[in-house]
Amino acid sequence: MKPLRLILTAAFLVWAANVLAEKNLDPVLAAGGPAVALNVENATPRKVEDTTRMAMARDYSAAWATMAEALEQNRPELLGANFIGDAKATLTDTIDAQRRSNLHQHFIDKGHNVEVVFYSPEGSAIELHDTAQLELQLLDGSKLVHSEDTTVHYVVLLTAAENSWNVRLLQAVPGF
Amino acid sequence: MIQVFRSASLEAVRKLPDLLAMLLAICWLSIGAYAAQLNVPATLPAGSGLSIPTSGRGHATLYLVGPGTAIKRQVQLGQNIEISPDDLKNAGRYVISLDGGSATFFVTAAAVSSITFLARPSRVPAETPNVIFGTVFVFDKYHNLVLQPAHVKFDVSSNGASVTRTEITKNGVAFVKLDSSKKEGPAQFIASSGNASMRRVVQEVASDPCSIRMSAQPDKNGILVQTDPIHDCAGNPVPDGTIVTFTLTDAKGKSTVDARIKRGVAEAQLPSSDGATISVASGVVVGNEIQWRER
Repeated sequence: MKPLRLILTAAFLVWAANVLAEKNLDPVLAAGGPAVALNVENATPRKVEDTTRMAMARDYSAAWATMAEALEQNRPELLGANFIGDAKATLTDTIDAQRRSNLHQHFIDKGHNVEVVFYSPEGSAIELHDTAQLELQLLDGSKLVHSEDTTVHYVVLLTAAENSWNVRLLQAVPGF
Repeated sequence: MIQVFRSASLEAVRKLPDLLAMLLAICWLSIGAYAAQLNVPATLPAGSGLSIPTSGRGHATLYLVGPGTAIKRQVQLGQNIEISPDDLKNAGRYVISLDGGSATFFVTAAAVSSITFLARPSRVPAETPNVIFGTVFVFDKYHNLVLQPAHVKFDVSSNGASVTRTEITKNGVAFVKLDSSKKEGPAQFIASSGNASMRRVVQEVASDPCSIRMSAQPDKNGILVQTDPIHDCAGNPVPDGTIVTFTLTDAKGKSTVDARIKRGVAEAQLPSSDGATISVASGVVVGNEIQWRER
């Protein structure tokens, strides 16, 4: 029974890898981060190299993981280097305001379908369109105020640091 | 007495459906009142306040959470709830909740107020096509990315000559690739959108040498080779520091000396060798050859 299960599992993984490769998607899981399927086919004006694609997906996933923790625990220091500039300032403001009101957010991240829509010619900035599947909860202390299972669209700017991609802007939009 | 009580009970039983209907109507109206309290627009521009009418009586707790904002406060039902522009300045998705009822809405960016301008590289060779890159992201006064199309003008001027290109942003970004001018020198690279403008300086330097010509003469330590002043094909002197390679080939093999251009020319000393061939090159450009004869 066990060998059969192993064979079936391996076959499924091979099939899934092929499907994802055909769609040019890379499901990347950062350590503890959500799944990020990244499509780079429509990147313009510069093509996204494989190493860049992998690094971007890894760092974006890590950014979401740290953001979820920071918003849940109201600890801006958890944002670390994943967020910079206005994105970090806005998230820090949110956390500070939550702390003052005894609020916090909990979200279950069910994954991101991400498309690269712009990659600057010199390679220092990338714009993404992220369709995120999220289960969001707003809590007042331990009291549940609001809960929803939803799809949210984000416009994201990533900029290149020495050896990582950092989120400079994370802006939810009604649609693309 | 019993008869009176029985008829009253029967009357109450007869009216039970009406009572239930009334109860349901009250519930329905209550729900309707809460729905009305959260009647918010689907989108509104950044920095505009929001006034939400409510009905009912008493107090309730209002929650508003969005980018940069998390508010909890008591509000008086039956009065308008005022959300200040400052609480709605960041573009994004907001959740508003009032005692159990919730709604979501989006704040979108306002008009373009500032730009971020990436100009690369800082030094470019003169007279080279598509070598200057400019990328502009457009933002409103609250630093939200403006996703509505906006015109962006790119202008490169150098030595009195100017090239202008206008692009329209898509997803908040516009970019351009421009040629460098023929003459070396600092080029002013300006991007503007509406009243927002940013300037960068791109140093245009001489391109690769167009040709290299050298001469050789005997020296006490061997052979002294020296180039004529080296220019690119537009006549700009190739910058000092550019490496020029001199190679001497004779029966013993090859000797190579790398020399940097200094004050427009490069020179080097090579070992004396009768019958040697001396060549010169810089990058992909090869200069003349000299057959050396000892006198």
